[in-house]
Amino acid sequence: MTLSEKDVRDIATYTRIGLTDEEVVTMTRDLNDIIANLEPITQYDLEGVEPTFHPIAGLVNVMREDVPQPGFTQEEALANSESTEDGAFRIPTILGGGDN
Amino acid sequence: MVNEFVAMSVAQITSGIKSKDFSAREVVESSMRAIEALDDSIHAFLQTTPEMAFEAADRIDEKVARGEELPLLAGVPAAFKDNMNQLGTRTTCGSKMLANYESAFTATCVSKMVDAGVLPLGKLNMDEFAFGSSTETSYFGRTFNPWDLERVPGGSSGGSAAAIAAGLATLTLGSDTGGSIRQPASFCGVVGMKPTYGVVSRYGVVAFGSSLDQVGPFGKSVEDVAYALNALKGRDPLDCTSQHIETDFLANLGQGVEGMPIGVVPEFMEAEGLTDEVKSAMAKAVEALAEMGAEIIEVSLPNAHASLSAYYVIGPCEAFSNLSRFDSVRYGNRVPSTELGDQYEKSRADGFGSEAKRRIMLGSYLLSSGVYDKYYYPAQQIRTLITQDYRKAYEKVDAIILPSSPRTAFKFGEVSDPMSMYLSDIFTISLNIAGNGGLSQPIALGSETGLPIGAQIVGPQFKDENTLRVAAALERYFGVSTLAPIVQGKSKEVRA
Repeated sequence: MTLSEKDVRDIATYTRIGLTDEEVVTMTRDLNDIIANLEPITQYDLEGVEPTFHPIAGLVNVMREDVPQPGFTQEEALANSESTEDGAFRIPTILGGGDN
Repeated sequence: MVNEFVAMSVAQITSGIKSKDFSAREVVESSMRAIEALDDSIHAFLQTTPEMAFEAADRIDEKVARGEELPLLAGVPAAFKDNMNQLGTRTTCGSKMLANYESAFTATCVSKMVDAGVLPLGKLNMDEFAFGSSTETSYFGRTFNPWDLERVPGGSSGGSAAAIAAGLATLTLGSDTGGSIRQPASFCGVVGMKPTYGVVSRYGVVAFGSSLDQVGPFGKSVEDVAYALNALKGRDPLDCTSQHIETDFLANLGQGVEGMPIGVVPEFMEAEGLTDEVKSAMAKAVEALAEMGAEIIEVSLPNAHASLSAYYVIGPCEAFSNLSRFDSVRYGNRVPSTELGDQYEKSRADGFGSEAKRRIMLGSYLLSSGVYDKYYYPAQQIRTLITQDYRKAYEKVDAIILPSSPRTAFKFGEVSDPMSMYLSDIFTISLNIAGNGGLSQPIALGSETGLPIGAQIVGPQFKDENTLRVAAALERYFGVSTLAPIVQGKSKEVRA
């Protein structure tokens, strides 16, 4: 399976990473090189082998008691954002139009 | 200026403070002087936190003055990898993406160390988002191996290993997703341990591969590392994968290996790229174990050779998912735009380095429809096979000894293509896949390169005390790791 430059552009769009034309060329080469090295995985007879998605068997989800606990203040939650307004994260337009 | 506490162990520092031979404040002063003198050459630290260290020291010194009981690590100078949140510090992950990120809370591993009385000196350099084996990908510049400033310290926890080797801290923390504690420990000639997945809480450590990541300590000796593990271990309500651990990791360090079955893996010694000097040092370590009465037994890990490819499926897939949170809105690098989608693309393109972009895009591709069935699902099935291999081996042995890395530290730029870099983790990765614990300790200086060689001791899940016991025996045989020559002012040259 070989990735084309178009495939790489599609992945870049999906992962929201803008790539220059030169970066698309090197990324295509690097990804194909890495994927070629993943081939051993496709050559195993894995019939009937259960997958392991997590290294510790038998984990169960843990719920805490449903009692209020202190959390971030609004100020703390916004502190690392470069653009806030009226206690909210400020983002540019999503649907197009508008002046910001 | 040499840190006068640099040669001391954790136990010597805590007892010296208790008996008023010196104060915690003096330890901070000395550590800060050492960092000032040496870290221009090493660049282990991304930031230092003298105010926090002095505050912690004053708390300890007041306790001493009042005759109160001291916590386990009272007055031990320590530092943390910069993917660990700590209130009052930036947590950059070595990335432009988080260059200005102020920690919004403190990671459990950091607060446990601070609660145990360490003096927090600062935050340590790393490969960007822990993607790498050389610390060359940090946005803030590379870290230099204290043994040879032309060489890498290993990675991704390169700053954590280099700080110990250069005597800048007594304990440091790193994180290990595929070898990121053990490989730099090996390159820098110090002890570094990745405990079993679940021994240490991951809360507050910026996630890379959530089913693989584990926090662990670096130190000069096995005992120092065991001290740190005693402080770090245990259940944290904020990480549902952390486990109740009752083990005292210091308890059986002195027991020796008499009669203990220890495994060697013959097929690993035929691995591609394994150098002669590492091979012969490993043979000597195995002989030493036999001489001390261990029963050396050959075991086989027939599927381990697939662990590298399985890792380069599972790791990037989890990283892709974890790094989607960096959207430039709530935190992280922002390149303003008039349209949100465009802002995402520009901010992420500008904020992530090339290795981060490669792994995110690879993960996205591998999880896409159709490709998932070809690589991702089989990789998780191979994970089962590798885990079963280890389980079978541990029916016969209590621990296994293998190399930490196929070679000693390489020069900057020497390993440049991504696949060759990935190969430097060939002996460490299968542990993250199976969730076992392991430790790298220095056993020799290479006969060819003169650089530290690490042996890796690995044990069954949640039997990390076995690993420490074997390592302590080997350390008694070969001696505690020596600090890098630069500490004595014997460095070949200072970086330009």
